[in-house]
Amino acid sequence: MSRRILPSGIVALSVMLCACSHSEGGSASGPPATGLPSGGEISALPMGHIAGLTDSAALARSIPNPYGDNPQAIASGKALYIKMNCAGCHGYDAKGNMGPDLTDTYWRYGGLPAQIFQSIRDGRAQGMPAWGAALPPQEIWKLVAYIQSLGGTYSVDGTPRNAQRPELVAPELSSHADDAPR
Amino acid sequence: MSARCTLVPSVALLARSATTYADTPMSYLHTYGPAGDPITRLGWGLGTISIAVISVIAVLLLGGLFRHRTERASDDAQLAVGREGGGMAWIYVGVGVSTVVLIICMGWTLVTTAIVLHPPSTPALTVQVVATQWWWRLRYTSANPSRTFTTANEIHIPVGQPVRFELASVDVIHSFWVPQLSGKMDVIPGQTNVTWLEADKPGVYRGQCAVFCGAEHARMALEVIADTPVDFRAWQDDQLREDPPPGSVTVRAGQRVFQAHCAACHAIRGSDAAGIVGPDLSHLMSRRTLAAGSLPNTPGNLAGWIADPQSLKPGAQMPDHLVSGPDLTAVVEYLNTLQ
Amino acid sequence: MRNLVRSPAAGALAPSPRIEGRVHDPVHRHTPRRGAAIAGALFLGLPACGYSLQAADAPAAPPVSTNNLSGATLNSSPNDPAGEWHSQARDFANSRYSPLDQINTGNVGKLRIAWTFSDGTLHGHEAAPLVVSDTMYVVTPFPDMAYALDLSKPGASIRWTFKPNPSPMALGKACCDAVTRGIAYADGKLIYNLLDDHTVAVDAKTGKEVWRVMMDNLETGATMTMAPLVVGNKVFVGNSGGEMGVQGWIAALDVDTGKQLWRAYSTGSDKRVLIGAEFKPFYSWMKGNDLGISTWPDGMWKHGGASVWGWISYDPGTNLIYYGTSNPSPRVPAQRPGYNLWASTIFARDADTGMARWAYQTTPHDEWDYDAVNEDILMDLRINGEMRKVLVHFDRNAYAYTIDRTTGEVLIAAPFAYLNWSTGFDAKIGRPIVNQDKEPRPGVKLDNICPPDIGGKDWQPAAMSPRTGLVYAGIFNICMDLTDHEVGYIASTPYDGMEMQRHAAPGGNLGEFMAWNPATGKKMWAIKERFMTMSGALATAGDVVFYGTADGWFRAVDARNGSVLWSQKLASGVIGQPITYLGPDHRQYIAIYSGVGGAATVRADTSMSGFPAQGGTLYVFSINGDSIGAEPALPSVSNDAGAPAPTANRGQQ
Repeated sequence: MSRRILPSGIVALSVMLCACSHSEGGSASGPPATGLPSGGEISALPMGHIAGLTDSAALARSIPNPYGDNPQAIASGKALYIKMNCAGCHGYDAKGNMGPDLTDTYWRYGGLPAQIFQSIRDGRAQGMPAWGAALPPQEIWKLVAYIQSLGGTYSVDGTPRNAQRPELVAPELSSHADDAPR
Repeated sequence: MSARCTLVPSVALLARSATTYADTPMSYLHTYGPAGDPITRLGWGLGTISIAVISVIAVLLLGGLFRHRTERASDDAQLAVGREGGGMAWIYVGVGVSTVVLIICMGWTLVTTAIVLHPPSTPALTVQVVATQWWWRLRYTSANPSRTFTTANEIHIPVGQPVRFELASVDVIHSFWVPQLSGKMDVIPGQTNVTWLEADKPGVYRGQCAVFCGAEHARMALEVIADTPVDFRAWQDDQLREDPPPGSVTVRAGQRVFQAHCAACHAIRGSDAAGIVGPDLSHLMSRRTLAAGSLPNTPGNLAGWIADPQSLKPGAQMPDHLVSGPDLTAVVEYLNTLQ
Repeated sequence: MRNLVRSPAAGALAPSPRIEGRVHDPVHRHTPRRGAAIAGALFLGLPACGYSLQAADAPAAPPVSTNNLSGATLNSSPNDPAGEWHSQARDFANSRYSPLDQINTGNVGKLRIAWTFSDGTLHGHEAAPLVVSDTMYVVTPFPDMAYALDLSKPGASIRWTFKPNPSPMALGKACCDAVTRGIAYADGKLIYNLLDDHTVAVDAKTGKEVWRVMMDNLETGATMTMAPLVVGNKVFVGNSGGEMGVQGWIAALDVDTGKQLWRAYSTGSDKRVLIGAEFKPFYSWMKGNDLGISTWPDGMWKHGGASVWGWISYDPGTNLIYYGTSNPSPRVPAQRPGYNLWASTIFARDADTGMARWAYQTTPHDEWDYDAVNEDILMDLRINGEMRKVLVHFDRNAYAYTIDRTTGEVLIAAPFAYLNWSTGFDAKIGRPIVNQDKEPRPGVKLDNICPPDIGGKDWQPAAMSPRTGLVYAGIFNICMDLTDHEVGYIASTPYDGMEMQRHAAPGGNLGEFMAWNPATGKKMWAIKERFMTMSGALATAGDVVFYGTADGWFRAVDARNGSVLWSQKLASGVIGQPITYLGPDHRQYIAIYSGVGGAATVRADTSMSGFPAQGGTLYVFSINGDSIGAEPALPSVSNDAGAPAPTANRGQQ
């Protein structure tokens, strides 16, 4: 009897192990195959205009979130948002408290994913702490994915993520980087 | 499949385990405390009774198969059953004995489960255990609030006293199992399960998460160390003692590295680090293992774990490459001072 | 039902809120006011909720005198000139009472705007201006600028501006808006706290910085928002940051140099907390050694909060200062079993040495962020036939305390606002009995905990009148739905964990302005307000009490019976503290900031319309709006006919 059970047991176990070993480094929602943007690319981004609409120079160098719409990344990002006390300043509903509202389309330092990444990684002047030492890039991108899921951020082509708000669609972008903010 | 093929290896295994239990820390065939002893006795008892029953049946069966037929050669026409003092007695006796034995076994099982449900006396110590993927947070409570402290993965209990464990989970179902001390108790999110342990003699008793809980379930171990009451009090005092501030330049640098890179998730009492996402690392060098019992606590293992946790425990929540180079050396030196 | 008070002089209609309850006393009559339509008012009794509000009384003949209902007497040291206002609370006792009576119940209906001053900032305006001789001094919220206004000039022009340039990093660390609660005046200097943990002294004549000291570390999340108190050659200051896991403290600085004379922390060893042999707490749970360590889990006192962001009073007779500490950190009580001393505690300390004389913890093991920082108003009262030296304290936990200020014994503890976190006050043990159903646990949603974290009354200070013997305060009628989340300490981030939604308590009104008898523990009358009443109160010898609402109404009320005599809508919500002074023209003025913010941005019901936008304007009122003449600065060019120069204007709207 054991001679018949043993092989099938081994097969079942192998199947389970194979299923588990597909989690890459970081956690179950590891970075996708395209890899992470380099730190230098992020630092070279110019700060965004106040309303989040940004100039073409910034757009040209901007980078999408490597996690995209990955729901596991968003869930991890939400868990991080609470564990890292982001909820304390920005509210459990992300609508702002000591820190600004993260669900609206007003981004003091730019609303592109890479600009939000930079704000989290490097901190900002009015009291936003710098998380780059405590959180590696993939964890920060998960946070950005969560913030993007709230609907107020901008896509890398300059349009707001939330397509329901046509009045916020970016007008034709000028080639002059020093135009006054609209 | 004949009983013989299972019997011989089982006996051999039992014989081995009786003499070399220290080499098999997860063996539940011998336990060392009143939370587990009744169960083990029950297990052995039922096992023995089962083997006896099987043996009797086997003997009878073999006897029946190979009974000498010469007596009956001249009595082809007679049915064996019809003979006086024949087969019905076998049935009556067999059913009667089996029933009695079964009732004894059932009674014994029920009594055993009732006994192990509650400790023999009210536990003086309660440990709050929070299971999380993939480590164990421990909080020692006390009537004196300032003797309440948090640690991780290594439980100390005083010998000869029952200790109560309140089990909670922050994510998925886990199971708290220290096989040489007790049976399993599931840890279920949304409720607090209560179990207890008691050790008869000092020693290290290894535990394990016993319900599949994710990628690193296999590396979610824990150790229960039973100390004499004096040693236990000393351990508690050690955990509550405040370490002196860092002395040398490298150790201070290491503390700065720790504060910048690690303090968001980890806590070290006496410093400014008080994160709760990862295990509390206060007095880290007093622990035998790292990474929830996965690695012996040596400087090399500590450095390797900090540098590249994903290669040792892929999928663990601790990210890779947060600290490297001279920062890594400094922080390891700092952690080595946490006695 | 709305009662309209029609003022014929202005032709303006000012809706007055419903008036709930009146003093039931045949001696008191209603003062007839020209144009007041009191007869049309509808008096409603408050539903039975344990507070003794008297039934409506029919108006009768006008009163001849104001009776002191509590026997309270006030020591108005340092007895500043009657027409000036040298400190936020006007006197050491924190009475916020002015002896001026030019403006009184008879003529307050004629108050009009005399002049206004825009300070160039938004954020909540919580401070009061100071008036010393012919200069008014105002301080703004972040960026914490100070202005000196020349009251002898028409329109009170700016004499100097002081720009301290505090670090903007503080904006991200201040839990409850980038506010400051005011300045102190000492010895020719203005002393106040900057949000970024500096205390600064400015020469009052020139506006030049005299000294600046750094008192705490912004990297830990600590800020400073409180108004200092000056006593003699010392100025007392404390920090903010109970939501950030800071270490709370109070310190005394030398007025001339800013040098620190002593500092008492709020948690830690007796040595750190300046507790010594002369410390004699009245109640048992505060007796013992190093309770600032042993009432916390191992080591947690180091991030214990208990900051000192409220008011300080001083008794010159005993040389003691009185103040309260904030909530314990984190705001999740499950993480910190124990009494958590010395958070949510009222302290009496020796002003010279800082050594504690007694302490009283109003909410032991504070589970709801109630703090104890609200003002302690010092007075002498007759209680049970005996004269007692007391302090009166409306705590955030919705109990009004009358405490013997020499020993810390609680003489009266009575609810003044809607509460359900406690089932009563145990006078023998000396603390409220906790309702176990309202104790939060991580991950469990608890509905309707009253009052919410901002309390039955927050920092907005009350005023007392030695003429009526009553204490007047704006209070709240709010509850919260709460879910606690376990939280880790990460330096410079909130050590918080309270997820909550606030909403109105039974009754539907968020605010209420009340008169309280501190000798009996009874509410005498109350005015319900739709929005929060988050301004300070001002009491005057004219028997008028002033307060403002979060939606921008500034009101004058008869101190004896709660009739609303005058109301004015200001540009933004009123969360500041009103003062009154005599100008160089010997005219009495009332000054109040408008500019909503602070915790009033709670917006307990986000669907409520009428919540104002931000602002930053100081309003100054006088009878008929009269003020120093408004001639142009330069003579007009005369025409051939020699036309006369234009005459001085009467104050216009």
